[in-house]
Amino acid sequence: MNERAQEWVFWIAATILVAMIVHLGSLYILPRVVMMRAFDRLGAVNAMHVGRRPTAASRAIVRPSPDIVYASCPYDLTKGPLRVTAPVIHTSYWSISAFDANTNNFFVKNDQQTPADSVELIVVRHGQAWPKLDTAVERVILFSPSEKGLILIRAVVDDDKHLPAVEAALHQARCGTVASAPKLR
Amino acid sequence: MHVAVKIAGTLIVGTALGLAVTWFVTGRGGMGDNVVDGVWKTSLVTGSPQSDPYTRARVALHGLLALNRNETIYYTATEDSDGAKLDGKCRYDIQGRDPNARWWSITAYGSDDYLIPNSGNLYSVSQTSVRRQKTGVFQIAVGGAAAPAESTNWIPAGDGAFSLTLRLYNPGPDVALDPEHAVLPALKKVSCP
Repeated sequence: MNERAQEWVFWIAATILVAMIVHLGSLYILPRVVMMRAFDRLGAVNAMHVGRRPTAASRAIVRPSPDIVYASCPYDLTKGPLRVTAPVIHTSYWSISAFDANTNNFFVKNDQQTPADSVELIVVRHGQAWPKLDTAVERVILFSPSEKGLILIRAVVDDDKHLPAVEAALHQARCGTVASAPKLR
Repeated sequence: MHVAVKIAGTLIVGTALGLAVTWFVTGRGGMGDNVVDGVWKTSLVTGSPQSDPYTRARVALHGLLALNRNETIYYTATEDSDGAKLDGKCRYDIQGRDPNARWWSITAYGSDDYLIPNSGNLYSVSQTSVRRQKTGVFQIAVGGAAAPAESTNWIPAGDGAFSLTLRLYNPGPDVALDPEHAVLPALKKVSCP
């Protein structure tokens, strides 16, 4: 191979290397960027937001189900643990789930796994202390893999006439840092 | 050529190439397509921390906040049984029985991954809204310009490319373990204008 050809091989190899690094890097940050954008669209952090039943006008999150009413709480644990309380809806499929900043679904519990009428989640970071609260509801301590994340409640509306009851129940869900969370009783 | 120009060229071309590959691999395949059951495609690792970076990136773009497969399996169809892209101007027919799950729904989405505007606000058919024959078999018309007869299940699909998502909430154990062999409704094209 002459010198000129060698040089070409070198620069082509360098370009492919750069392309691979950029490809893997962009693939790595893409979920985080998408999650942060969703974060900004969903509203204030450490607060519960109950959405309307999705229609073609719903453009906060891709591929929403029109048969589900969603309630969401974007959280940030830098100010302390998060406390979520929510009534469990037993009339149709209901679930409460948690997603980390990398979009992973690290927790989910549905109505069939939660016989109680309400559920309480305490979301903490590893090593973060949480107060011992004296409440009688079903409590789950969740370790969040990231400071920021999202709690999402899904409630299936299997019949239009159930919509008001489902929405009313979702509006009773609360989310806040432990210091600011309302007492349950 | 000056060496600085070569370095700059390498960085620019390399970056463009890298981003193009990312765009290409995440733009297709919906929420992952390594499990194929007829026209329906899904991934075993959707939503789970074991998810590979490719599936995770695709789910972030096309199905953000999806649940893991024991909770919900999301099957996506972008093509009919002949492998042609789904087109809202055509009429399709979905036929089958209730899949093995606690609750299911089939929803149409536009190429932008949002619900498709239509005058009747019809977006989906579900286990509770579907009309069945006495035998338990149901038929769902999808797409096409005009609404079919009143008694027919219908999901309008706009006038361009669309996709369908079949959600199985709390799938039966056999479906969750082997989603490739789940008994799912069949989708075929009836006619195109």
